[in-house]
Amino acid sequence: MSSIAKRSPWGIWKDVIFALFAREIRVGFNDKLGIGWAIVQPVLFIFILSFLRGRLNGGETHGIPTFVFMAFGMVLIQCFLQTFHAGARAIKKNKALFAFRQVQPISVVLASGLFELLVKIFVSLGMGLMMYFLDLELQLSDPLSLMFYFFSLWLFSLSLGFIFGLIALYIPEVDKIQNLMTRPLFFISGVFFSLQDFPQEYWWLLDWNPILHAIELSRYAAYPVYGQVGVSSGYLAMSVLTSTFLCLSIYQAYWKKAISR
Amino acid sequence: MISLVNVTKFYKTNLGNRYIFKDLSFDIPTGHNIAILGSNGAGKSTLFRLLAGSEYPNKGKVYCNLNISWPVALATGIHPEMTGRENTRFIGRVNGVVDLDDYEQRVKGFAELKENYELPVRTYSSGMRSRLAFACSIAIDFDVYLIDEVTSVGDAGFKRKAKQALLERSKNANVIMVSHDMRDIRQFCDSAIVLHQGELTFYNDLDEGIRKYQAL
Repeated sequence: MSSIAKRSPWGIWKDVIFALFAREIRVGFNDKLGIGWAIVQPVLFIFILSFLRGRLNGGETHGIPTFVFMAFGMVLIQCFLQTFHAGARAIKKNKALFAFRQVQPISVVLASGLFELLVKIFVSLGMGLMMYFLDLELQLSDPLSLMFYFFSLWLFSLSLGFIFGLIALYIPEVDKIQNLMTRPLFFISGVFFSLQDFPQEYWWLLDWNPILHAIELSRYAAYPVYGQVGVSSGYLAMSVLTSTFLCLSIYQAYWKKAISR
Repeated sequence: MISLVNVTKFYKTNLGNRYIFKDLSFDIPTGHNIAILGSNGAGKSTLFRLLAGSEYPNKGKVYCNLNISWPVALATGIHPEMTGRENTRFIGRVNGVVDLDDYEQRVKGFAELKENYELPVRTYSSGMRSRLAFACSIAIDFDVYLIDEVTSVGDAGFKRKAKQALLERSKNANVIMVSHDMRDIRQFCDSAIVLHQGELTFYNDLDEGIRKYQAL
């Protein structure tokens, strides 16, 4: 008989998240195109869109090549949207696994979030590699800040998705409005424009949105000439802290009820 | 010892709360192979899930100082797109099996899946699935195995083997099972808990339990 180890709660967590993560990878890339497609497809999509936009515009947007400008926006908004949806879906999708008392909803959400993070890191590397081979200019003057913004945005998306996933267990209709709510984000988060394109008196319409902050700050971190106008890393960090705190509190209060329905 | 202390469990429905247990306290005796008997909707599966920690009571607590399996039903934790081997590894990891390779081999041998072990579970027949699920749990050293109607799908040969395995383990392990097939129950159990209108009654003698259950 196979004996089982006495594990600390932390040990159980680690094992479970690893098992779920491995399962996510295994099931996520099940067809013949496999793991490559998850990276090639978004890279191509982002590349083509950015390229077309770069062509139309011809040159530079606020001091940085339009292609790079677009690429940052696209990678980050995709990171937000997909992590958000993965986080929101995770609990419902893996409901059967809660039969194992070791598997708790938060591990499921974390595992699918980590999976998205892994894919997004490879997509970013893929973009960089493609630009290198096509001899496009790419400058990264402050990679540490860049990584911080990227990671902040990821955490923000995951915790927001987590909150939605928890609410959806009680009010299933949330699923339906979720798409309706996230679609506009593609257009108001500064993917296609910069906050600098707008007159200052209208900024309040846009600058409540932490995704916009993350995108603009990333561009600035890569190209200091772009300028940091109207956005602040403090605001981004506060949004991340707030959303993470909120999702963990809701989870702590409701998770036992949530899986017992 | 597994004990339920002041357990209240209800489900919300459109017609208000539907109570399964109200303020129930009960100790499940150790050292018995117990069948849980009860009519449809009496709450057998709910009781099972509470014991296993898959669900939590609305009030009260379930105490358990034993190593208890997950409720082994046909599809729990088994992903149809993954192979038998991958599913086994997943279950092993979640449960904290020390030697995963050894565990894999055991499950493969016990479930008699041969080369099918490397195929996705969606290609399996229901008998093969139940064999895999049962093997995954019996190959781990639990003190108590919770078996939910799994044995009913296997063929005679497999049932014999399952019984053999449980007998071998019966010195330090027990089974609690739910099944509507009295032949299955007689094969695996020696005592019964009858579940009726939110109350549990333990019968040391299986036949007495079955009589009481059939008289309900």
